[in-house]
Amino acid sequence: MAPTKFLREKWFYVLLLVLALALPWLMTNRYYFQIVIMGCLFSITTLGLNLILGYTGQASLAHAGFFGIGAYGVAILTKAGLSFWLALPLSALLAAGIGFLIGLPTLRSRGSYFAISTMCFGVIISIVAGNWIDLTGGYNGIVEIPLPNPIPLPLIGSLDFQTQAAQYYLVLTFLIFTLLIMHRLVYSLLGLSFMAIRNNEVLAGSVGINTFAGKILSFVVANFLAGMAGGIYASLIGTISPTTASLELTFNWLIFLLLGGAATLTGPIIGAFVIPVIMEYLQFLAEYRLIIFGVMLIVVIIYFPRGVMGAITNLKQRSRDFFGRRKETVKGVAGG
Amino acid sequence: MQLFFQQIFNGIMLGSTYAIVALGLTLVFGILHIPNFAHGHLYMLGAYISFFLMTLYGFGFWTALISSMVILGLIGMLIERVVYRPLQGRPHINSFISAVGALIILETSVIVFWGPQGRRIPNPYPDIVELLGITMSYQRLLVIVAAIVLIILLQLFIKKTTPGTTIEAVAQNREGAMLVGINVNWVSSLTFAISTATAAAAASLVAPIFMISPTMGALLGMKAFVIVILGGLGSIPGAIVGGYILGILEAIGGGYLSAAYKDVYAFGALILILSIRPTGLFGKELS
Amino acid sequence: MRSCKGFAGFGFYMAVAFVLAWAVVDASAQGTKEVVVGFTGPISGVVAEYGQDCANGLEMAISDINGAGGITVKGQKYNFKLAKLDEGLDPTASVNNCRRFRDQYKTPAIFNPLFNSIAAISKINQEKGNEFIIMAYTSTPKAIEIGNKMLVAIPPPFTVYVKSFSDIAWEKGFRKAAMVATLGAYGDEWRAAFKEYWLKKGGEITIDKPANYYTETDFSAPLTAALATKPDVMLIGGPSATTALVIEQARGLGYKGGFILIDQAKMDYIANILKSTKLMYNTVGTAPVEQSPTEAAPNFEKRYRSLHKRMSTWEVWLHYNGMSALARAIAAAGTVDDVYAIRAAFPKAFPLLGDKFPSAPWFGITPGGRMECPGSIQTIDKDGKYGKVKLALWQYKTEAEFKQAVAKAGPISADVEWVFFKREKEQ
Repeated sequence: MAPTKFLREKWFYVLLLVLALALPWLMTNRYYFQIVIMGCLFSITTLGLNLILGYTGQASLAHAGFFGIGAYGVAILTKAGLSFWLALPLSALLAAGIGFLIGLPTLRSRGSYFAISTMCFGVIISIVAGNWIDLTGGYNGIVEIPLPNPIPLPLIGSLDFQTQAAQYYLVLTFLIFTLLIMHRLVYSLLGLSFMAIRNNEVLAGSVGINTFAGKILSFVVANFLAGMAGGIYASLIGTISPTTASLELTFNWLIFLLLGGAATLTGPIIGAFVIPVIMEYLQFLAEYRLIIFGVMLIVVIIYFPRGVMGAITNLKQRSRDFFGRRKETVKGVAGG
Repeated sequence: MQLFFQQIFNGIMLGSTYAIVALGLTLVFGILHIPNFAHGHLYMLGAYISFFLMTLYGFGFWTALISSMVILGLIGMLIERVVYRPLQGRPHINSFISAVGALIILETSVIVFWGPQGRRIPNPYPDIVELLGITMSYQRLLVIVAAIVLIILLQLFIKKTTPGTTIEAVAQNREGAMLVGINVNWVSSLTFAISTATAAAAASLVAPIFMISPTMGALLGMKAFVIVILGGLGSIPGAIVGGYILGILEAIGGGYLSAAYKDVYAFGALILILSIRPTGLFGKELS
Repeated sequence: MRSCKGFAGFGFYMAVAFVLAWAVVDASAQGTKEVVVGFTGPISGVVAEYGQDCANGLEMAISDINGAGGITVKGQKYNFKLAKLDEGLDPTASVNNCRRFRDQYKTPAIFNPLFNSIAAISKINQEKGNEFIIMAYTSTPKAIEIGNKMLVAIPPPFTVYVKSFSDIAWEKGFRKAAMVATLGAYGDEWRAAFKEYWLKKGGEITIDKPANYYTETDFSAPLTAALATKPDVMLIGGPSATTALVIEQARGLGYKGGFILIDQAKMDYIANILKSTKLMYNTVGTAPVEQSPTEAAPNFEKRYRSLHKRMSTWEVWLHYNGMSALARAIAAAGTVDDVYAIRAAFPKAFPLLGDKFPSAPWFGITPGGRMECPGSIQTIDKDGKYGKVKLALWQYKTEAEFKQAVAKAGPISADVEWVFFKREKEQ
């Protein structure tokens, strides 16, 4: 596509990218910046969850378990001396590999059976993490995990990750990487086959799609992304424990995903930013904050079942209908 | 050997609690296709209602139990109407989110309004009896007996009474039931009410032995799901068998092997069983 | 339309009133300035009671300090205010909350009672231009081992309790110990330390059957297994409420031996749940707060109960002392924002003596950053009666120093037994 045409059609996304890159200069508040960094990180996990749940229709409740595997992998390897840049892909691959092994028995079940099966696996991960004291430090977890190793750059010296700005660019890079993967997957034949499995597994099978292979692939990629995010998390926060793999985290991402808009590329990102921001804003409610959150969940899921993105799409559709109809009547009156 | 039988007794008591709670859940999950993840927290609410009826208003143990069942049944109907019915026909995962919302509201409200500390319900039957070398407290025996009675009553209700058979009809074919003039909304409410009432009964029976706290239902709710899936969605025998299997597994595993990994055994067993029988022990294919 | 206008008019006047009220409230605070201190902890969830107790202690201290006129720094009067945020059990939320405190209030110090969160916060409390002191409520030596120069630990190291409880159990003649304590970070550490110490003394560990005191209520399985090994003393404990259940269930299964309660479990709380100490015979544990031999203890307890309708705990009292020490350090440092100076001024905050403080005597702060809070030990004999409270001092290298400290202890009841533990490596 010619550059000017590309710019004209995708100007919104280009603008967003420019803003995102320029953010550290605009953001002087460390508190807000922290929220943005975490938002980017959890966008990655929510996008992964979107792949297996939103696009392939399988409710994996073990997502935080794989996040934890990635986190513990990086923690153990970097504390043993390995470079972060080697530990991260290794841990992500470990998460993907374990995902493959777990997918084999669990993906034979469907729907709620699969969901509960994966939920059990996630809980097993956190219990093992809490009790395998020699490897994981038990419930105290692992502390003092080193930040990512400085990258030597020509001319500038080395880029270290002490500052929030550097950490932000790190997670932003991985977020863009994740978006690229998702984009390629979703807008491909493979992505269509995932959606076919989601919409009607039996029908998909009958037209020749290998549904089991599709589900496994989706599951493994999703877990790879989760493990990768977990590894980054471990290095940035510096402390992990069995709560890093808790069911509560999975529920949070599930909420981000559904309230943001499942089966869209931007929905997970919207959810991962908007909901934590709302939660931080609601801090003034003190102990009533969670009650309001619960009410919000119920209300939003009932009235906006396809999340924010779904609501926006609805709005666009309605306005198109409305303006389209007006054009029709005008034409009719003008005798067109 | 005596140790073994003591552990088995412990397991049966534990299993009885699990069975009643799982029963309620499988009714709702299997018949209404609602994954009521807030079931554990409704159980907790049942215990608190009994506690307040007994300590603030001086109700006797059994009066409090029956009242708690009635009150929680009504609350159950309210929850079904407000939290789940609007999501009829939408993907299950949406009901899941709704349930999580309800669960958060329940737990936080209890902490905020009644405090985070644990409370004790006075034990109405504190005596102990020794039978064949096994120490049994009367309250624990009561739990086992009450569980069996409840299960039998529920089976009779479903099979022999008109409302019960109506519920079964809706479970088998919702559209068909509507065609013959059954008010499925009313059936949904009733099923939910029975589900929560049984949870209240279980909670009130068990609470005097242990303690009530705002988070007592969280783990139990999750385990109830495991049992229901293990036994097969909507299968009452499955829920009962699953409940007792889990109880005994936990007692034996916790007693002889490491208590730390106790939950790992149960959950690992589930993954294994589901990989062999993807729809649970007694379950049928999901439509 | 008339109704719209009327409504708009009403709205306008309400807005004006609101703005005026806000301005007035804001203006009235001009005379005395405020120092905001942060608390981030588990106010919701499984350990909500623990988190809330900590915050309550801080609030009591702040209201007392403000009531006595606050502090004066460079001629300006300051009152304290507590900013409280919930973090569940999530270190990510901890970090967010600390950044929020710094952003909104420039808090010089933030309190936190969970080791995992403390470890996460230690990574961000020394950022240039954004430093703050972590007031860490944790008795694990691991917190000091992190080596963060701007961290102050409040409670005594739990190893003091491991040793003193074991010594007392040993004196009673117990040799065979079974462990049915809680799982979890604190329980794991306690069990490991106890096992090491008990075996070194020549005792025997008959079985180790930990259970999850945070989620379980039925301990018949591990207790039955433990009792089968015929121990004469059992190490139990975790959250107090559950520990009460364990004692009840153990006695119900026929156990007649002794109990060692890990310090997380509070004797008075347990006695309250069990309605008496009848089942708690031959037990050693941390002393009940209201038996604390200081002058200030009884009134303090009464005040707490009337405010919060439940018993106070060591979390409340030690946070009270911690906050008071912090206020004194700020006053002594002569600055409310130079946190390095405040940290350096901590030794000047002491001593905290029994006339004003329910927990006393606190004489200083170790070089590693832990405040010198004495351990409080109590025993219940075979008839269910309390013994004499013992206060353990663990910060001195020689017995001579220890004796000097005891002599300077101030208003402490004479009915106290003082115990000396030689100072070990930084913990």
